[in-house]
Amino acid sequence: MSSQARVQALFNEPACEKNQAKDASTRKKGCSKPLTPGAAAGGCAFDGAKIVLQPVTDVAHLIHGPLACEGNSWDNRGAASSGSALWRRSFTTDLTELDVVMGQGEKKLFRAIREIVEAHAPPAVFVYSTCVTALIGDDLDAVCFRAAERFGLPVVPVHAPGFVGSKNLGNKLAGEALLDHVVGAYEPDDVGPMDVNILGEYNLAGEFWMVKPLLEALGMRVRACIPGDARYLDIAGAHTARANMMVCSTALINMARKMEERWGIPFFEGSFYGVSDTSDALRQLARLLVSQGADRALTGRAEALIAREEARVWRRLEPYRARLAGKRVLLNTGGVKSWSVVAALQEIGMEIVGTATKKSTDEDKERIKKLLKDEKHAFDNMAPRDLYALLASGKADIMLSGGRTQFIALKAKTPWLDINQERHHPYAGYDGMVELVRQIDLAIHNPVWAQARAPAPWDAPTRASARPAESGAETIALTRRKFAATAADELGEC
Amino acid sequence: MPQSAERILDHAPLFREPEYQDMFARKKAMFECGVADAAVAEQGEHTKSWDYREKNLAREALVVNPAKACQPLGAVFAAAGFEKTMSFVHGSQGCVAYYRSHLSRHFKEPCSAVSSSMTEDAAVFGGLTNMVDGLANAYSLYAPKMIAVSTTCMAEVIGDDLHSFIQTAKDKNSVPREFDVPFAHTPAFVGSHVDGYDVMVKGVLENFWKGAERKPNGKINIIPGFDGFCVGNNRELKRLLDVMGVDYTLISDASDQFDTPSDGEYRMYDGGTKLDDVKAALDAKATISLQHWNTRKTLEYAGSLGHETASFHYPMGVRATDELLMKISELSGKAIPESIRLERGRLIDAMADSQSWLHGKKYAIYGDPDFVSAMARFVLETGGEPIHCLATNGTKHWEQELAPTLAASPFGKDAKIWAGKDLWHLRSLLFTEPVDMIIGNSYGKYLERDTGTPLLRLTFPIFDRHHHHRFPLWGYQGGLRVLTTILDKVFDKLDADTINPGETDYSYDLTR
Repeated sequence: MSSQARVQALFNEPACEKNQAKDASTRKKGCSKPLTPGAAAGGCAFDGAKIVLQPVTDVAHLIHGPLACEGNSWDNRGAASSGSALWRRSFTTDLTELDVVMGQGEKKLFRAIREIVEAHAPPAVFVYSTCVTALIGDDLDAVCFRAAERFGLPVVPVHAPGFVGSKNLGNKLAGEALLDHVVGAYEPDDVGPMDVNILGEYNLAGEFWMVKPLLEALGMRVRACIPGDARYLDIAGAHTARANMMVCSTALINMARKMEERWGIPFFEGSFYGVSDTSDALRQLARLLVSQGADRALTGRAEALIAREEARVWRRLEPYRARLAGKRVLLNTGGVKSWSVVAALQEIGMEIVGTATKKSTDEDKERIKKLLKDEKHAFDNMAPRDLYALLASGKADIMLSGGRTQFIALKAKTPWLDINQERHHPYAGYDGMVELVRQIDLAIHNPVWAQARAPAPWDAPTRASARPAESGAETIALTRRKFAATAADELGEC
Repeated sequence: MPQSAERILDHAPLFREPEYQDMFARKKAMFECGVADAAVAEQGEHTKSWDYREKNLAREALVVNPAKACQPLGAVFAAAGFEKTMSFVHGSQGCVAYYRSHLSRHFKEPCSAVSSSMTEDAAVFGGLTNMVDGLANAYSLYAPKMIAVSTTCMAEVIGDDLHSFIQTAKDKNSVPREFDVPFAHTPAFVGSHVDGYDVMVKGVLENFWKGAERKPNGKINIIPGFDGFCVGNNRELKRLLDVMGVDYTLISDASDQFDTPSDGEYRMYDGGTKLDDVKAALDAKATISLQHWNTRKTLEYAGSLGHETASFHYPMGVRATDELLMKISELSGKAIPESIRLERGRLIDAMADSQSWLHGKKYAIYGDPDFVSAMARFVLETGGEPIHCLATNGTKHWEQELAPTLAASPFGKDAKIWAGKDLWHLRSLLFTEPVDMIIGNSYGKYLERDTGTPLLRLTFPIFDRHHHHRFPLWGYQGGLRVLTTILDKVFDKLDADTINPGETDYSYDLTR
C-alpha cells in the first residue's frame, strides 16, 4: 500500500466520534490541522511513530536515514523498562551523501540489520523509514522481508517518514505497523479469560507499575501494555486478550478498533489519571471481561477493591487539604482527560480556574461543565499570549501542563508542574494521584515564587528614589505582543 | 611477593595483593591482640546512635576535628591583599610554614610569608633580636613595599611587644624609618582566623590613618573578609561595582596575588590594594564589610574616624546580593543598572527552573560564621532546609543573630545552630538526623565517607578539588554557580542511584 493510501485509510476512523462527525471532504484532510508553513509546529510523523514504538524494550529500533533523525529522538522520553535496555540503544544507518547519490541505502540497511542480529540477537528489529530514504525510494518492505527470511527473526518496517504528516499521524502509523506485522504473530500457550491489553500507555516514570498491581489484585493478567514496558512477544500475542483498554485515544484508536474487528476484542477508552477515572477503568475492564465470559464475581471484587482503594486515597489526600484548599489551578493538558483530575483536586478544596478540553469528548466536556462553577473556565485551547495574560495577572496559583508551555508559566512567575510526557514523577492510579497532589504542594510552596513575583527590591514602589515600576497591565500587554500568534494546541501534545 | 623491580606497583594496588592481605590477616590474628571484629563493628554502630550523640555533645575539654584555623592564618591572608606586601610572622617558623602550605594547597599558587624563626633562646630572652634581624633580612631579600607583622602563640606567650620591637628595629636600621610595618597581635589561643584577618586589616589601616587628617569624599571602602573564593568573588564584586559606576576602594584584595598567570614571570607580589589607595581611603565616606564576623574591630575603628559603616554576611544568594547592592547604591547615589536587574532575573529564573529538585532537600552546613549564615539563607531561598548550621568559630552572638533568620522561614523551622561545635559533633548529628547534602570544605570528605552523605565543597579550604575558587559565589552570577553546584550533586546522586545496568537503570534517564 502506498503511503498516501495508508494515510487516507487512517483518516477514516469509525471509532472516533469527532472523525465521524466530519463530512467526507473534511475527513480527507485528516484529524490534525493542516500545517502552516512558518508557524510553530510540533513533531513529524517519524517522531510520532518513534514515540509509540520506542518504549518496546527488547526490540532493536533501527532508523534508516541520515544521522539526526535518530540523534534528535534518541532516548527522549522517560518510559521505563523492567527488563531489556536495548530500546535505549541508538541504531541508525547514518546515510551519507554518497549513499544517497549512489543508492546504497538498501544494502546498508540490510547489512545494518545483520550487524544488529549478530551483536544483539533481539527478538525483533523495527526499521523506521525517514524522509530521505522514503524520497530516494528505498524499498523498506523488501529489505525487511529479505532480512527476516535470511536472519530468521521478525523485521518490521515502520512507514512514517516525517513528510507524511503530523506526530499524531505518526502515532497511528506506528499502530498500523504493529497491526500489520506484530500482533497475531505469536500464539501464547497460556491464554486465559482474564487477559487484558492496555493500549496507549507509555509507562512514563514507571507509572504503569502503580496501576498493574491493582489489575493483578483482581486476577487480571496484562497480556500486553502497548507500548510501555512491552516486549516483542507481549505485543505479538496481544490478539489473545479478552479486553482492550485505550488510554491515549488519539494515538492508537485505530489499533483498538482493528483489534476488535479482527479478533473480537472489545475495548473502551479510559484513563488512570484521577481517582474516579482509575475506579472507572477498573470497573470497565471487569465489565468487558465478564461480558467475554470471565467469572461474574469479578464485578463484585472490583467494586470491593475500588471502595477500599478510594477510601485509602482520600485518607492520604486529606493532609493536603489544609495546605492546598483555595489554591487555584489551571489545567492545560493535551491527552489526559481533565475532568477526573479536576474532580480530585476539587475534592481537596482546590479551585479550578481553567481547563483545556481540546482532546476531550463531548461527554467529558459535559462532565467538566458540571464540575466547574463557570463554564467559561473550560476552553478548547488557549493561545500562548492569552495563557500568559491569565497567569501574569495572578489568576492561577499553579499551572499543570506539558513541557511546551512550561516557560509561559515560569516567565509569568507562576509555579508549573509537568503532567505530560517529560514528567519525572508517576501520577497514574490512586497512588499517582497522591503523588500529583504532593508535587503540586511542593511546587506551590517553593519560596522562589515569592522572590520571582516581587520586583527587584530597588524597584519596589515604596522606595522613593527608585524608578517607578511598570504597572502590571503594561507588562502583560507588552509581553502579550511578543508572543507569536500560534495556538497553544500546536505547542501541547499527548 | 607481588612487588618486583620489573613491575613496581603503586601503594594503592600493592597492599591489595593477596600476599599482603594474607600477611595483614596473619599479623592481626597472631600479634595485634585486638578486640574481635564484631566488637569493633558494634562500637562503630554505637557511634551512630542518639546515645553516643548525647555523650559526644557533652564533651567539655576535647575538640575533635575543629572547622577553624588560627588567627595568624587570617592575618597572612589579609596581608596578601595589599600591594607588594610581605607577611612577617613573629614567632616560630613552623607555624608560618603551615599558613603557606594551607593557602598554597587551596589556591594552587605560591604563597610567600616569612617568620622571625624564634628558637629556645629567643623564648627565654625575648624575640627582639629575631625581629631586628628578621625585618632587615626580609626587607633586603624580598624587596617588599610593606611588611605586615603578625604573631604566633610563642611570641604572645612570652609577651613580645610588637610596637616597641618594630620601633627598635627601625632605630637599628633594619628597615628605613618611613617604611611601612603595620602589625597585629594574633595569638592562636584567642578567636580564629577570622579575627586574625580583622586585626591585621585594622593594623594596616591604623598604620596609614593614625594621625592623618580626614577630608571626606564620596568614595566607599569595601572589606571582603577572609575568603577562599576571593579570586572569583573579588573580581565579580569589582565587575558589579564598575557596572554601577561606583567609586570604591577594595581593602585587602588578594584576587591577583592568588591567581598569577603562567607567562614566564614569577610574581612574588601581584595585585593587591595600592598603599596610596589605603592612605586615601581614610577620606572615604563609608567603610562596609562583606563579612561581619571578620571585621568587627576594623569597622569599629573606621566608625570612630567618622566613616559610615555597614556589614553583611557573605553576599551570596538573591536577597543577600540585593541588600549589598542597595546599600552601595544608597551610599554612592548610583542607581543599580538594568543589566544587573537582568542578572538578578536570570538567577531567579534558574532557581525556578530547578525548584522541584531542590525543594525540601536537607542540608548540613559548616564553615565560618558569615559563610554559614549566607549559605543557610540561600538554601532557604531554594526551598531547602538547613538542618545543621555549624561553625566551630561561631559565637553565641552569631547564633542569636542567625536564629531569627531561620525561624522566619517555614523551611528553617527544623534548623539547629551549632556554635562552637566541631566536625566530630557534626558526625553524630549526621547519623542521628540525616541530611541530603553536606556543604563545607575538603575536611568534610571524612564525614562523606563515614555517613554516606554527599559533600559540596564551597568554602575554604578546598585541597582535594582544583580551581573552584576561581569562580565567584557572590552576586547573582555567583548564585548561579552555587545553584549549579548543588544541582550537579543532586543529579549525580540520582544517576549514581540508578546506574546499575539491568538492575536500577530503568530510571537512569537522559533528561532530568
